[in-house]
Amino acid sequence: MTAQLFELPAELAIDTGVARRVISEFIRGQLRQAGFERLVLGLSGGIDSALVAYLSAEAIGAERLLCVLMPYRTSSDASRADAEEVVRRLGCASELVDISPMVDGYFADDPDATPLRRGNFMARQRMAVLYDRSVTWGGLVVGTGNKTESLIGYTTLFGDNACAFNPVGDLYKSQIRQVAADIGVPEAIIRKAPSADLWPGQTDETEAGFTYPVLDRLLFWRIDKRRSTEELEALGFDRALVERVDRMVAGAEFKRQVPPIAKLGPRTAGVDYLYPRRRPGSARG
Amino acid sequence: MKPLRIALAQIAPRLGLFDENLAVHHELLGRARDDGAGLIVFPELGLTGYLLQDLAAEVAIRLDDPRLASLAAETEGCSAVVSFVEESGDHRLFIAAALLEDGRIRHVHRKLFLPTYGLFDERRFFAAGDVLRATPSRVGVGIGLAVCEDFWHLSVPSILALDGAQILVNVSSSPGRDLAATNEVGLGTATSWQTLIRTYAQLTTSFVVFCNRVGVDESISFWGGSEVIAPSGEALFTAPLFEEGLFSVDVALADVRRERVALPLLRDERPEWAVRELSRIVAERAGLARDSTAEDGADPGLDVAPGDPVPRPIGFRPGDQSRSEDDADTPAAGVAGEPPRR
Repeated sequence: MTAQLFELPAELAIDTGVARRVISEFIRGQLRQAGFERLVLGLSGGIDSALVAYLSAEAIGAERLLCVLMPYRTSSDASRADAEEVVRRLGCASELVDISPMVDGYFADDPDATPLRRGNFMARQRMAVLYDRSVTWGGLVVGTGNKTESLIGYTTLFGDNACAFNPVGDLYKSQIRQVAADIGVPEAIIRKAPSADLWPGQTDETEAGFTYPVLDRLLFWRIDKRRSTEELEALGFDRALVERVDRMVAGAEFKRQVPPIAKLGPRTAGVDYLYPRRRPGSARG
Repeated sequence: MKPLRIALAQIAPRLGLFDENLAVHHELLGRARDDGAGLIVFPELGLTGYLLQDLAAEVAIRLDDPRLASLAAETEGCSAVVSFVEESGDHRLFIAAALLEDGRIRHVHRKLFLPTYGLFDERRFFAAGDVLRATPSRVGVGIGLAVCEDFWHLSVPSILALDGAQILVNVSSSPGRDLAATNEVGLGTATSWQTLIRTYAQLTTSFVVFCNRVGVDESISFWGGSEVIAPSGEALFTAPLFEEGLFSVDVALADVRRERVALPLLRDERPEWAVRELSRIVAERAGLARDSTAEDGADPGLDVAPGDPVPRPIGFRPGDQSRSEDDADTPAAGVAGEPPRR
């Protein structure tokens, strides 16, 4: 059944039972260490956030999860319907926040703003809403970005990649699909073309120019298995694609790291002041 | 001979919370002892949590710390292995495992191998131990203590067994990783460890007791799967992956004798020969002897000989002024045949 639902390259197949177990413990551990009991996430109707909603419900129970739907006026109705279906199936709390007035207000005097600027601004408005709901709901913001998009930099800095912790950030898109199928995410969500839904008709794969199974395999062999360009060519990858993806990965390094602080004093955060994020005294009182 | 009951405390220590972890140790030690356990084993850094970074200095204890003595006091009539950050008199911090018996600290092992690669960063925060010794024990046979990465070095189980250990105890905080579906038990780390400790038990004809923690520190999840392996290499007990619990298993220490009579590998070991060859290798690496596997022309202590000298320096040199764009591809006039200048 799952074989028809999506393409899963053999080398990317994981033990989904172990993955779900590890992720459940991880989510509970993060909450316990921070002194929180609830989670909030932005539910787009896409597979990544749907999977994180299911994993969160599995880890702590749906009653402790808030899904926030944050459509813009051009967002697809189908996305919203898919998100509502996830909320209905899980039985978790949800809120609808239309971000159109905030976004349109900002760009009112700037009608020529590019789609890229608008898209990034929308992603950051959603972040701002989530962190506000984090207070009203009393929950941590759980991240939903996957490993593929993080590596190639297909994320908005301080936008969709902003979170307290991310349970799926080490799963390639193909593996997201595998775990989603295993945990029972609605098939329609697994089947549809991935999209940032920042403008009508946008899909990840047309924008990037390659398919996720190919990209996932390339990243897996390049990064996880440390293969050289020559070895990747021998595996059947196009040299031009390898070089292009290499540039994307290198160019997105800044999105994956905490910004550097100029070293001046005796102890500097992240340099020689090194503590676990969650340590005695760090939990909410 | 009465079987030895071994208890494995597969716990999830709280990071940096010494007193909370100490309370868990007291409770489980008492429960296991009351259940008739003769050897109770806690995981690496069970008293402090693993990913300490700069917290290491804040949770470190000396061997005369009363909290350690309070645990030792609970070992009347039994043995326990506990692990913590040990601060020496000269203020070095070690990852230590202590064998507590009959109310006292019987033996302390300082972790020898501190992984500082991949997701590990131990050498930045800790000092490495220098001593490896098997120790006699009240359980009736010698015990050899090792901490996690120590078992990724063949010499450790080998030396412990030669030194008289019949039970090799490894306490671990092993982070689980590699979920490839092709792994036997769904986790690459678990598959590797299971292979290692079965092999060590068989090759040293000793019991291997492996106690690994569970729970989460920051990004990493510890996978548990604690085991007791017989001297034949057979797994006598395997704890569930990722689950907290106190597990016990009865073993017949007479199995060591049976195995060693039938399969006298330790009898046939040649430590004197190994020492000679190791001495040679150490001397070669130090440049004090000719390296039998180095290239001709390599300097002492190096194994690769320098390449041929660069024939001519690269870039502008006096005498190049006459070169024009047109003859850029021809050898620079006036220097051909001259020795290279620096």
